[in-house]
Amino acid sequence: MIEARSITKFFSVVNEKGLAEGLTAVLNVSLTIPDGKIFSLLGPSGCGKSTFLEILAGLQAPTDGEIRIDGSRVLEPLPSTRKEMEAYKRRYRFISPVANGVFRDHPKHDIAMIFQDYAVFPWMTAIQNVNFALKLHKIPRAQRNERARFFLNRVGLAGVEHKYPSQLSGGMRQRLALARALSVEPKIILMDEPFAAVDALTRERLQDDLLKIWGETGVIIVMVTHDAPEAVYLSDEVVIFSPGPGTIRNRISIDIPRPRRRSDPEIIEIQDRIFAMLQYDLDQESEYSI
Amino acid sequence: MAETYETRGLRRVFLELWGFIKNSVGNFFSLEFLSLFIPLLLLWEFLPRWNILPESLVPSLSTVAEKFWDMLLHRDLVFHIAYSMSRFFTAFIIAVVLAVPIGLLMGWNLKIRAYLLPLWQLLSPIPPPAWVPITIIFFGIGFRMHTFLMFIGIFYPVLFNTYQGIKDTDPRYLASARVFGASEFTLLRKIYFWHAFGSIIMSLKTGVAMGLVMLLIGESYGGRAGIGYLLGQAKDYFVIPEMVVCMAILGFIGWFLIEVLKYVEIKLAVWKVGR
Ligand SMILES: Nc1ncnc2c1ncn2[C@@H]1O[C@H](COP(=O)(O)OP(=O)(O)O)[C@@H](O)[C@H]1O
Ligand SMILES: [Mg+2]
Repeated sequence: MIEARSITKFFSVVNEKGLAEGLTAVLNVSLTIPDGKIFSLLGPSGCGKSTFLEILAGLQAPTDGEIRIDGSRVLEPLPSTRKEMEAYKRRYRFISPVANGVFRDHPKHDIAMIFQDYAVFPWMTAIQNVNFALKLHKIPRAQRNERARFFLNRVGLAGVEHKYPSQLSGGMRQRLALARALSVEPKIILMDEPFAAVDALTRERLQDDLLKIWGETGVIIVMVTHDAPEAVYLSDEVVIFSPGPGTIRNRISIDIPRPRRRSDPEIIEIQDRIFAMLQYDLDQESEYSI
Repeated sequence: MAETYETRGLRRVFLELWGFIKNSVGNFFSLEFLSLFIPLLLLWEFLPRWNILPESLVPSLSTVAEKFWDMLLHRDLVFHIAYSMSRFFTAFIIAVVLAVPIGLLMGWNLKIRAYLLPLWQLLSPIPPPAWVPITIIFFGIGFRMHTFLMFIGIFYPVLFNTYQGIKDTDPRYLASARVFGASEFTLLRKIYFWHAFGSIIMSLKTGVAMGLVMLLIGESYGGRAGIGYLLGQAKDYFVIPEMVVCMAILGFIGWFLIEVLKYVEIKLAVWKVGR
């Protein structure tokens, strides 16, 4: 179970006049994601979805609030008193708070994360990419190759083990990222627009394969997307973000049993509702800016 | 690829050598280049020989070749080359062994960067030849002075390019490795380094060029041996063919070292090939 308690994230940015100013990327977002569910975070770009996902993964420290996974904190909270602040600064002088350690490889939580384009390392072959993750999870060398092959087969990548990502198609690269994520048998998979860069047909196949694998493993999947049909088709719940500052605007549970059909009238109906909501937000926003 | 991957031992060495020759000298045997190069060589030979250019100022190709042979037999050319190159490689290795790790650390960590970067930014604009006088006072004329001057020439380009390559590593690569539990050291070895690999090789090529420049400058200040010394002698006695031989040798050394680096890049950065 993932619990996000009133997560807020400020950035200080430099505006067009060259002055520093605060930017609220995420404001007071609370969300509980039970085991074995697929959640989608949906919203226009710039509304803090990626930031929130990285906070879930422990890749960014929230300015306020905390994330707990099965009850344990993902990152220690930021200091609140001056004294704590100084200790914190001393402690993290040479290494960032989101780092795992200087020399010891050690995953903090059972999470895997998949990014859109930068998912796999171009300087490693497919099997090396998977082995890299396995090694970090302390799988003995003797078992790595076999296990990597198993997961590559599972996502339909048999036979391209020794190819480099640049020799694979966009869809295959995403499959490789999925295989690498699955290979460490995580409890949670976080995905940041995983299928945004592939063509529509490939995307639908990837979605179906993802659902199939999810059905077999029962991991939590939290997926950022800006594609409403994708969110509705895949998720148990769609969390709609609205921009400036990023907050949860609406949550829509989808109780349609799987396997679902993309053309199911119920699904279409929910999609239309979401589209209307997003459209309304956009209209409001343009009115503000006028 | 799969074949060379499996072969071992002597056969492997020959395969690699053959691959290197094909990759380096191979360029010279394209029809396009030969159709330019052969006429140029012919012009070089016959313009002075037919006195269209004064032979005393522009020695023909065959004169230079004869001179080269003569220097090889009677002037210890091989010794002079070995002499210069041993210093060059000493400087090159020290510079790389220092610059790459410092560049890695500076690119990796903001705090280390804050400590070190301004220092290099202050020191690096000093043109390397400006170091000559003070180096001579400190080290005297000889091995240490030559090596230090070349070191100065090679160090900064390697340092800054490594640093830049590391700093530009896409944070998303780092993020995905971190989620899997990668320690900072693993990130440096498996992510940062490979991301910066292209710029590091690039910087080594610049380093070769700068090192050769500093080799000449160093050896022009006294000394009793080396290619730069020979070139200085040729200048003092106004022996143009010898100058040309020295220039050709320097050109060849630079070309050869850069081809070696290119080959290393092709071999290690296999993932970039065929993109
Ligand atoms: N490291 C950062 N520094 C400054 N601003 C940032 C940073 N990361 C994100 N932002 C800003 O926060 C907002 C939310 O970004 P992001 O989470 O990437 O949105 P989304 O993924 O929904 O498109 C954007 O306005 C973005 O410019
Ligand atoms: Mg995003």
